[in-house]
Amino acid sequence: MNIKRLGRVAEGVSRRWFTWLSLVLVLALVVVGCAAPALAPPAEKAPAEKEEAPAGPPEKVTLRFLAIQDDAQLNAWKEILQEFQQIEDGKWSYVDIQFESVPFRELFPKIEASVAAGLPWDLLEADGPDMKHYGFNRVILPLGEYFTEDELKQWFPQSIEEGSFRGELYGPPMMQSCSLMMYNTEMTEAAGISPPQALADSWTMDEALEAWQKTTVDQDGDGVPDQWGLRWGQGTWVGDYEHGIFHRSNGEKGSPTYEGMGEDGVSFVGYLDTPESIEAMQFYQDIHQEYAVTPIEPIPNIFESEQAAFMVTPDNRIGELNRLYGEGEFSWGVTGIPYFVTPVCQTGSWHYGISPNTEHFEEALAYVKFASSDAGARIWYKHVRQLPANVALFNELPEYQEGGRQHIWFEAMNEIGVPRIQTPCYTEYQQMFAEAALNIQQGADPADELSATARRIEGLCAKYAGWNE
Amino acid sequence: MSDMVVATRPAREGLWQRIWRRRTRNYVIAFLFVLPALINFTIFRYLPILTTLRASLWQYSLLGGYGDFIGLQHYRFMLEDPIFWKSLRVTAAFVLLKVPLQVAFSLVLAVFLRQERWILGVVRSAIFTPVVTSMIVVSVLWSMMYHSQLGLINSLFSIVGIPRQAFLSNANRALPAVTVMMIWKEVGFSLILLLAGLKGIPEVYSEAAIVDGANRLQIFWHVTLPLLRRVLMFVVVTQTIFSSQVFVPVYAMTRGGPLNATKVIVYYIYQYGFLFQDMGYASAMSIATLVILLVVSGIQMRAFRSEVEY
Repeated sequence: MNIKRLGRVAEGVSRRWFTWLSLVLVLALVVVGCAAPALAPPAEKAPAEKEEAPAGPPEKVTLRFLAIQDDAQLNAWKEILQEFQQIEDGKWSYVDIQFESVPFRELFPKIEASVAAGLPWDLLEADGPDMKHYGFNRVILPLGEYFTEDELKQWFPQSIEEGSFRGELYGPPMMQSCSLMMYNTEMTEAAGISPPQALADSWTMDEALEAWQKTTVDQDGDGVPDQWGLRWGQGTWVGDYEHGIFHRSNGEKGSPTYEGMGEDGVSFVGYLDTPESIEAMQFYQDIHQEYAVTPIEPIPNIFESEQAAFMVTPDNRIGELNRLYGEGEFSWGVTGIPYFVTPVCQTGSWHYGISPNTEHFEEALAYVKFASSDAGARIWYKHVRQLPANVALFNELPEYQEGGRQHIWFEAMNEIGVPRIQTPCYTEYQQMFAEAALNIQQGADPADELSATARRIEGLCAKYAGWNE
Repeated sequence: MSDMVVATRPAREGLWQRIWRRRTRNYVIAFLFVLPALINFTIFRYLPILTTLRASLWQYSLLGGYGDFIGLQHYRFMLEDPIFWKSLRVTAAFVLLKVPLQVAFSLVLAVFLRQERWILGVVRSAIFTPVVTSMIVVSVLWSMMYHSQLGLINSLFSIVGIPRQAFLSNANRALPAVTVMMIWKEVGFSLILLLAGLKGIPEVYSEAAIVDGANRLQIFWHVTLPLLRRVLMFVVVTQTIFSSQVFVPVYAMTRGGPLNATKVIVYYIYQYGFLFQDMGYASAMSIATLVILLVVSGIQMRAFRSEVEY
């Protein structure tokens, strides 16, 4: 009897012991986990001093480079790397690069999550308007002290301004840009259209609409055009770079609509949702819905595959067409970008960034310096064919000089080019704007959409208040 | 007297040793078996939940780290955020559309495919194949098939004279389109579970029902279905949870559009956390979703509770 009781007691003790032990273990793990430092913001650390290495061939260093999916860019970097390994008597021959590329719209969250998680990226491809965001949030390292005044003169001032944050250079530019309207000359000739060749004669939106309508052709009568009039913007996304032009273009220079954002860099109500903005975005909806000159569901490579007559794009499209059809085989032309009140192209392009998580700062910096130098920029242009940010290269390219076929892009950059809104909140702004643009395309009321979006962006940007004071 | 003492002590020690062997040792061994799972759950489940709860009370972004403590402000904002409510409604609509259809469809298939014939084995494998196919690959393929100009489905429509339809860019059709794809993708999973459940029901009950004069429908309704209740509960509860967490097809096919028609709650949380740089608010929405799922799962488990043992 006693033994049985004792057994039950012991069983009870063991059960409780088992339960308590489990609970204590769980609590211990939780406490340890909570006590561990939370995901801290990346430190603005100084590049680590290299320890004195013993004499002999250096160990191979592989830089990790996070970039967008773009074959032309990838080929350019690889050729630049080959040259880089040869310079200074092969000083950098031990450096290799491992590329990871992601689609354009996935690059931003990927960069941010990777840096926050402390992943050991060395190099990042950073979009120009995001440089302020990256500088503010210490996603990339400041590089101002590593470039002399003479070296800074390699690039157009717009590019330096765009790659800087609070007056310090964070990333040298890869190239510059300005979107104009390219067209397929066979299609425009078939429609009896002669787009204006001088920037000053650029079409208004209404004039352009006529051309888009004439070149939208439904040959088999199934209700779906076999040839579309327009693809506005590169890729299939609706980012701010090209699609943000609509609303800014409907304002007089210096007006809130034209500026797109308050001077404080965090105000959007009264800028993004003005009556002029709403009117412009109504037109934006109409070209998709009412006039149906551009597909609502985007068709990849619609211009390159000769399914659209016009495309608003930077001149990198030329390189793509040459790759697809052979040098000069695709009959293209270019005209100014259509506008409502003020002709606008948004400038800026990609920049190099060095991650604060790099363990090979010296090699990363050397590669960035070479890639953005005159020699590197030449290789870059050979593959990408986009308006250079490098002044020396620009001066030696006949196509950009007076009378050259791509001169209009340079002229437009200087005449009608405006940088995209300069704010550390650009990343949040662009995501919000893209969602609003997509909703408007698909039928949302532009007034409601822009009003709600402006308010939501302000909520998200409040954390940057006072950033430029 | 001294003999008694000598005799008693070993007996008491032996008792403790027996208790240790029989009871404690069993618990220790059991605990050691449970330990890896316990550590796994603590590190990868409970700890993140607590961290999320903490983040929901702070201003917090991935890059900016923790800012000010703001208490329940995110939760208050959530109550006033129309898109949060819209995303909950979209998620509920998706679950209510997908789970019953998928379970009903897989139940019908299970009944027809439970016999052991080689051809039925091939059909079972074919139905299960999408389950083991990558979700992102399937989503991209289906979005190409749904394309209003270039898609296979619209090409087939054109052949039979039906006008082309916009699926993913039409606010009324986008969610059903995603739902159809997801049912196709996951019906095999429920099918396998229900097949196992059906095969686990002893034949004796059906035979008894036949002796009592029941027809096939009556046997299914009054014998098979009640005995399948526990498996059904598992399928319904897990599918409800999985479906409430749907993300990849929305990310790959619609990005929450058009007009937020497919903006499910997990996609909205992703947007705020990773695109809009507000992980604090994303965390608050995650906690709200967790609570909602716990309540729904609890209700479902109670509703499907079965007292039948076999």
